[in-house]
Amino acid sequence: MKTTLILMHRHQKLFFKDKGMFLSSLITPVILIVLYMTFLDRIYHNSFVSYMPKNFSLSSSIINATVASQLISSLLAVTCVTVTFSVNMTMVQDYALGIRKDFDIAPVKKSVLYLSYLFATILNSLIVNMVALILGLFYIATRGWYLQAVDIVWLIGDVVLLVVFGAVLSGIICFPLRTQGARNAVGTIVSAGYGFFCGAYMPLHYFGTHLQNVMSFFPSTYATSLLKNHFLNRPFHQMQEAGVPKAVIKEIAISLDCKPKLLGHVVSVEMMILLLLMATIILLVLYLFLSQYRSKKLS
Amino acid sequence: MIEVKHLSKSFGDLQAVDDISFSVKKGQLFAFLGVNGAGKSTTISMLTSELMPTSGSVWIDGVNVQDESELIKRKIGVVFQETVLDQELTVYENLECRAALYGITGKDFQLRLQQLVEMFDMHDFIKRPFKHLSGGQRRRVDLIRALIHRPQILILDEPTTGLDPGTRKMIWAIIEQLRQEEELTVFLTTHYMEEANDASFVVIIDHGHIVAKGTPHELKNQYALDTLYLYQVSEEDVQRLHMSYRCINHGYAIALKDVKEATKLIITYPQLFTDYEIIKGDMDSVFLNVTGKKGNGYEDNTDPDA
Repeated sequence: MKTTLILMHRHQKLFFKDKGMFLSSLITPVILIVLYMTFLDRIYHNSFVSYMPKNFSLSSSIINATVASQLISSLLAVTCVTVTFSVNMTMVQDYALGIRKDFDIAPVKKSVLYLSYLFATILNSLIVNMVALILGLFYIATRGWYLQAVDIVWLIGDVVLLVVFGAVLSGIICFPLRTQGARNAVGTIVSAGYGFFCGAYMPLHYFGTHLQNVMSFFPSTYATSLLKNHFLNRPFHQMQEAGVPKAVIKEIAISLDCKPKLLGHVVSVEMMILLLLMATIILLVLYLFLSQYRSKKLS
Repeated sequence: MIEVKHLSKSFGDLQAVDDISFSVKKGQLFAFLGVNGAGKSTTISMLTSELMPTSGSVWIDGVNVQDESELIKRKIGVVFQETVLDQELTVYENLECRAALYGITGKDFQLRLQQLVEMFDMHDFIKRPFKHLSGGQRRRVDLIRALIHRPQILILDEPTTGLDPGTRKMIWAIIEQLRQEEELTVFLTTHYMEEANDASFVVIIDHGHIVAKGTPHELKNQYALDTLYLYQVSEEDVQRLHMSYRCINHGYAIALKDVKEATKLIITYPQLFTDYEIIKGDMDSVFLNVTGKKGNGYEDNTDPDA
């Protein structure tokens, strides 16, 4: 365990001492926040207003809070996963710089080494994403604040769960990479594509039925939905108290992927957490299997 | 200590190492020589169990490396051609992390570190970032890293390339001290033939094959050409000797098989030998002759009928 901790500490130090690596991972959520605020805020605002019954007036604070929550939940759904790919660079860099030779001549178990990469990725990504969460909450506070302490606790839990999921996923995808170029290519593809894939940039509800059915088998769908549910729960509650018909709120919730379906059944928040946990455990087993496989192949 | 038996390794069509066998005794300084691409690094990777041989086996202390790779890894320390430590971390952080790979942590690490820091005189650099050290200081840290777990075998892959003579001397003094005090077995690859000259045993590898092996003395006797330097003679005089020669400053250099040949020339042409010297062949000469990379600049003046 001491070896794992010392190695993890080493990976962490390398990440934070490499200013380029640290800032590039931190800048992703900052850029997304600015882009969302600049370009999407007005579009989503108009979209929500269009859902309201005619001659029905809703407080702009609730609409703004709903829009902001939708934007920040989408942002975090993306960054919790994509940041892990930036942070996991140490694993690839060790190969690219030839440092792994030094680890491979030592009797340390490959599972210990790969777990140290995983733990470091989780911790470093958590730091970056917690900063993003705080920035996001500040933004929401400026638009309309309805969240309660229990919601914040849920959101922290969601971020932890998504980061662990992202860290294991990035560990598996980065596993065969040996050069900086390969890692950069994968990082670019993931950063560009994951937002669409998980329904963050555009809700999956707007996709075709067949595509929605396919996406329902990917845990990323529920990762995004989980955050949306916990961010939007209070604004929806406020809408209900303000007199917006339940059917309208339900329609908005469906349009924002808050009620995804799996095999025709609506997936509850609890089920989403369970699905994500199961997916993370399966990926973790695969990750450890890969490290053992590599160990056997080498020896 | 090390027993290599019919070791081969191929990568697709490329036969990197082809049926090599040799043994290294405990406490020996063993020199493993060859040009770049000869198969040295591949052999080292098989010794450290990083690579699986295509055929053959490596035994260390009577244990097959492939069967007990973890045990073997504890017995071996490696100094790579290029440093493989983290540039951004301090010397201390680097060594702490590498020691942990062997399960050496806490007080055990502190004690071992103190010993090595004293041995290598690294007190002033221990908290300094690795990237801020000079080439010689970095090499010393590489050596400390290789020795951190008290290995019985130290593999040095061109350890002194690019170092100043003072640092090379210091590093070799420490290695000699370790060999004598702790019976450390040293497996060396180097481009500096004077370092191989001090080896207990030398193996030269070329295109994956062993092309020569023996003690430096045996190899020099067998493969090195001695050189006769003749001064205050004309080129016509030298041509009378019917030997390969080349012009040097104020004279000529003549390649000889051995000293006997020089004696014969002195007896036959005493009038030419007023100012001369004979230099014994060195390991450079052995290496060049054995690997066929001659290019010695001698003009062939031998008499084919002689």
